[in-house]
Amino acid sequence: MAARKSAPKTITLKPVLDMNEATALHESLSAVRGQPVTIDASAVERTGTLCVQVLLAASRTWDNDKQPFTFSKVSDAFKKTTQLIGINFDHLAA
Amino acid sequence: MDMNEIKEIFFQECEEQLAELESGLLKLNDGDRDPETVNAVFRAVHSIKGGAGAFGLDDLVAFAHVFETTLDCVRSNKLEPGPEVLKVMLKSADVLADLTNAARDGGSVDQARSKQLIRELEALANGEIPVAAETPVAKPAAQPAAAAAPAPVNEEGFQPVGFSFDDFETAVDEGEVLMVIPTYEVIFKPKSELFAKGNDATLLLRDLSKLGEMSIYCNTDELPPLEELNPERAYLSWKIQVKTDKGEEGIRTVFEFAEWDCDLDVTDVTNAGAPADEDMPMQPIPFDLALLDDNDDHDRPIGVVEEEEHIASDQQAAVAAAATAAKVVEMAGQAARQPAEQRAAPAAAAAANNAANAQSAAGTPTIRVDLDRVDRLINLVGELVINQAMLSQSVVENDTNGTSSINMGLEELQQLTREIQDSVMAIRAQPVKPVFQRMSRIVREVADMVGKSIRLVTEGENTEVDKTVIDKLAEPLTHMIRNAVDHGIETPEKRVANGKNPEGTVKLTAKHRSGRIVIELADDGAGINRERVRQKAIDNDLIAADANLSDEEIDNLIFMPGFSTADKISDISGRGVGMDVVKRSIQALGGRISISSRPGNGSTFTMSLPLTLAVLDGMVVTVAGQTLVVPLTAIVETLQPEPSAIHSFGSNQRLISIRNSFCPLVDVGRILNFRYQQANPVDGVALLVESEGGGQRALMVDAIQGQRQVVIKSLEANYTHVPGIAAATILGDGRVALILDVDAIVAASRGQPLRSDSSLAAAG
Repeated sequence: MAARKSAPKTITLKPVLDMNEATALHESLSAVRGQPVTIDASAVERTGTLCVQVLLAASRTWDNDKQPFTFSKVSDAFKKTTQLIGINFDHLAA
Repeated sequence: MDMNEIKEIFFQECEEQLAELESGLLKLNDGDRDPETVNAVFRAVHSIKGGAGAFGLDDLVAFAHVFETTLDCVRSNKLEPGPEVLKVMLKSADVLADLTNAARDGGSVDQARSKQLIRELEALANGEIPVAAETPVAKPAAQPAAAAAPAPVNEEGFQPVGFSFDDFETAVDEGEVLMVIPTYEVIFKPKSELFAKGNDATLLLRDLSKLGEMSIYCNTDELPPLEELNPERAYLSWKIQVKTDKGEEGIRTVFEFAEWDCDLDVTDVTNAGAPADEDMPMQPIPFDLALLDDNDDHDRPIGVVEEEEHIASDQQAAVAAAATAAKVVEMAGQAARQPAEQRAAPAAAAAANNAANAQSAAGTPTIRVDLDRVDRLINLVGELVINQAMLSQSVVENDTNGTSSINMGLEELQQLTREIQDSVMAIRAQPVKPVFQRMSRIVREVADMVGKSIRLVTEGENTEVDKTVIDKLAEPLTHMIRNAVDHGIETPEKRVANGKNPEGTVKLTAKHRSGRIVIELADDGAGINRERVRQKAIDNDLIAADANLSDEEIDNLIFMPGFSTADKISDISGRGVGMDVVKRSIQALGGRISISSRPGNGSTFTMSLPLTLAVLDGMVVTVAGQTLVVPLTAIVETLQPEPSAIHSFGSNQRLISIRNSFCPLVDVGRILNFRYQQANPVDGVALLVESEGGGQRALMVDAIQGQRQVVIKSLEANYTHVPGIAAATILGDGRVALILDVDAIVAASRGQPLRSDSSLAAAG
């Protein structure tokens, strides 16, 4: 009950989403499980597949938990790369 | 780490790959048909090509590419690696090595030869298989590519327009417009290793999208919920349809640097007309995405240390180059790459493992160290050993008998120094394999030149010896191999006439024997023509016409300066550099060389070399007031002669009876001219030594001072060669002691005077 009231946690993605960042992102997302989350992808310059995997898994997990999972802002690079690899986060846009 | 260092690592790896390549090809040549061998060979060429691409070494890339194509035919069983095929491949391996060396050292390469081989390789790839995997290099435009190219369009009656499959130029033909552009379906499933090596699926897909119109479907079925997800594992896979005129080969080229790290399936679906699966909605990729971040290299490989930026700057090679370089960087800079987070450490270790596995050779983790650094360390350890000996000595001289703690401390220090020294020496120990492998190339080339068929058999190539010894071994060995092939082995016709196998054999063996490394080079040729050698020696005034020489002495004449029996000076071995130079370089290494020859059955050269040029376990002895060191490895036992055991023999020879056998007694002081009278054996000590020839001798010395490890200081480098003396050392009291050359002493005791260079002339 408390969770529903709280403001969404914002996770800001780093400019470089590489392998190390995938581990870090996995940790920070796991830490806020069960709470509404907003992803800020406005600073992203390089998008790696591993980070996309983490985000995708998280969005599904949040969906299962019936918690909101949204993208507040996305950079052009992030949008293009996800589109290139056939992943669509558009429906999660805030 | 700057670009040059990375490049240096690349060349070092090239050397390993070339060795791998050659040994693989030789295995195939011996009838090995293990697919893993073929794969190893292919991988070697592929890695060289990959790295070369990263550094823009176009010649190397172009040749490796053709080579690789032909190897691929072998790999896919389209080409049977028969003797003729392997001959071309071995030659190609040689040219590849030349190109690598030229790229590193800036030398030039025999262009005609490499062009010729490219043609031969192409012929192999094309000629024997109707549908080759690809056209290796751009053909002349006039020639229709249809025959060799994997016909990308299979409509009847359609005549494909000649276009280039060459990866390195993507010239757009005007005729292209008329073509029906084929569609391919690509199933791409990256493995976790792909990411661990710093590559990324996004980069590959981006490059793929540049080939033409592309639709993509990402399969996310394997993606687990967040709590079960391993962030460094690959879960996604893709089904892609791409319409391109670059052919299947063009698509595979995109993935070629990742091909070991992903599952890839490419099929031509132009005529299948299959609509995309209902449950797999294909998402078309807008054309402008292909240009995504193309000009600023934002999307360069991920997870790679900063320095690598230099590499990616080469736009042409972008993805492929960086991926390969990333691998190189990763191995060198693994430590630097370790993420700060402790939790990531095991994963990083796994990545390191993967990198190591990719380097098929690496079993245990290794580092590369500059040889200079090791040398400096060895020098310092040498000084430490001397210093420790001096310290011990001064403690003894100052008579601190009462303080046992000092003595104990000194003993520990001695042990530690010893261990340090052994460990440092172990760093330098290397198998002789690389040198032996180089020899196989020489045999091949020389045999080719003189029109003989010769097989090199090597044995014991994992025998380890000091790196300095290995480095200096190559030259004399090369010369001897050339000699063996050019002069030693007869022509096939002659061999057949003599009832021999037309194929000659040269056998190169390495083994450890009594603390030295013994290298034998045996051929099954005609052996030494003693009559001719003798005549030549007489003609050259090397011996008197009536000299009475034993067979062994005649054989040894070939080591005389300026001696060559070849009737005609050939390009190969008759360059005026004779066996005397070989002998001198072996001697400079503290080694010895001998020859034994059986007419009609071939000759055997035996070289015995010290394992290290730095230290030696020695017995310190006194002879006529001089302190000498006798290498411990030569000594079998020491004994105090009884008067009854000494027997005179001939005019001035003496024998000592040891356990019912007689052994010649050699007075070291007399032989070295330390004294003019023979000493009384009963006053001294006899050292029973085993000489290289196998016989035993009892060396007479006045007294034994003790056993010690001594640091070898070269006499040749610091003074000049002294017959009978191998080297010198500095003792604990700071004095110089000479290290005895036991075999030279033994030889001298047989009546050969101690003058190595002109001994035979004097004998004659």
